[in-house]
Amino acid sequence: MANLLWLQGGACSGNTMSFLNAEEPSACDLVTDFGINILWHPSLGMELGDNLKGLLQSCISGATPLDIFVFEGSVVNAPDGTGEWNRFAGRPMKDWVRELSDVAQFVVALGDCATYGGIPAMAPNPSASKGMQFLKREHGGFLGTDFAAKSGLPVINIPGCPCHPDWVTQILVAVASGRAGDLTLDEFQRPKTFFSSFTQTGCTRNMHFAYKVSATEFGQRKGCLFYDLGCRGPMTHSPCNRILWNRQSSKTRAGMPCLGCTEPEFPFFDLEPGTLFKTQTVMGVPKDLPTGVDKTGYVKLTGAAKAASPQWAEEDMFVV
Amino acid sequence: MSDDAIRAEAEDLLKNGLQTDVFPRADDQTQIQEIIYQLQNGDGSLKERLVVGGFTLDPVSHEGLEQACETCMYYLVHRRYCELPELDVPVEAEWSCRLWRI
Repeated sequence: MANLLWLQGGACSGNTMSFLNAEEPSACDLVTDFGINILWHPSLGMELGDNLKGLLQSCISGATPLDIFVFEGSVVNAPDGTGEWNRFAGRPMKDWVRELSDVAQFVVALGDCATYGGIPAMAPNPSASKGMQFLKREHGGFLGTDFAAKSGLPVINIPGCPCHPDWVTQILVAVASGRAGDLTLDEFQRPKTFFSSFTQTGCTRNMHFAYKVSATEFGQRKGCLFYDLGCRGPMTHSPCNRILWNRQSSKTRAGMPCLGCTEPEFPFFDLEPGTLFKTQTVMGVPKDLPTGVDKTGYVKLTGAAKAASPQWAEEDMFVV
Repeated sequence: MSDDAIRAEAEDLLKNGLQTDVFPRADDQTQIQEIIYQLQNGDGSLKERLVVGGFTLDPVSHEGLEQACETCMYYLVHRRYCELPELDVPVEAEWSCRLWRI
């Protein structure tokens, strides 16, 4: 049995919504089949007031072993470093976060806000929000660069806005079943099993990407969304087209450009006004190129691919 | 009108000296949006799209890149067509316009 505690800071509850939609395993399966004991969760917990405070203090004292501490949302530090803008159970949330992180075997940051600070930490960041161990690309965040949970692992970051329920449940199951040693983390402490490939990996529009056929308007089923509609699939690490959403689809499959929500720069990405869904160009060349591709190579490849594109690539092949 | 007929009409206009806005090229997002705004708020005629788009019958070289329709992301190779919604015009591979992008 692994005790899990889940708290929310500067959050919209989107990751909770996502988690509660988990199917294989479901949130209930985690309890019944995988031995996860949910001590408390903002949407599921029964304790209120002093009872909740007592539970949290019991974790901090060690009377109740805390195996997994899950935090959703940013850590709010305003005003003036006090964290008073986000009080919870009688004190600033950040104080609970610090003390619970220090006693937990594993600390898991869920979603962009807990991972990098997310939307609340966008400039000018009035809530002085930070991610658990990052502030955007900067390592450190609220807990500091040297933080490690009692297991020895740093904060396990599962970004996304929201993160996919399977990313959450699979990591929780791995940790709860003693297989945390199998986890390898990347430079942003994201599990490599999910965040080494790109959003583009598995995208149904890859043939159109290869032949440089662009979608020019929303709703078109043919054409790649990268060239004109601002899709960040070739530059974003996520398995959104390998582990499908609702077991059905993904943003790009449905014609929605990837917004790059698993990367530290989300949601801003240095966008010019009006370019959220418009690929920014400089002298006609995309400002952000697919990861690992330089401008010269891109221009050469694109010219050749365009010349070689078959007729079918320009037509809508989807008839149903 | 068929694509061929529209393409021929456009070619005639350009060959007969239609002055188009070849420069400045749309080098950044502000310039792109200004041109797109002009197109979206114009009368939509072929002549206006050619003028505002800055069409030429030959590729324009700009900042070391030859900006021909055939390498542009909006160009449909087999239909010989510019698919940018605001232009939406049959073209030839060797033509060029200032909204070129790769």
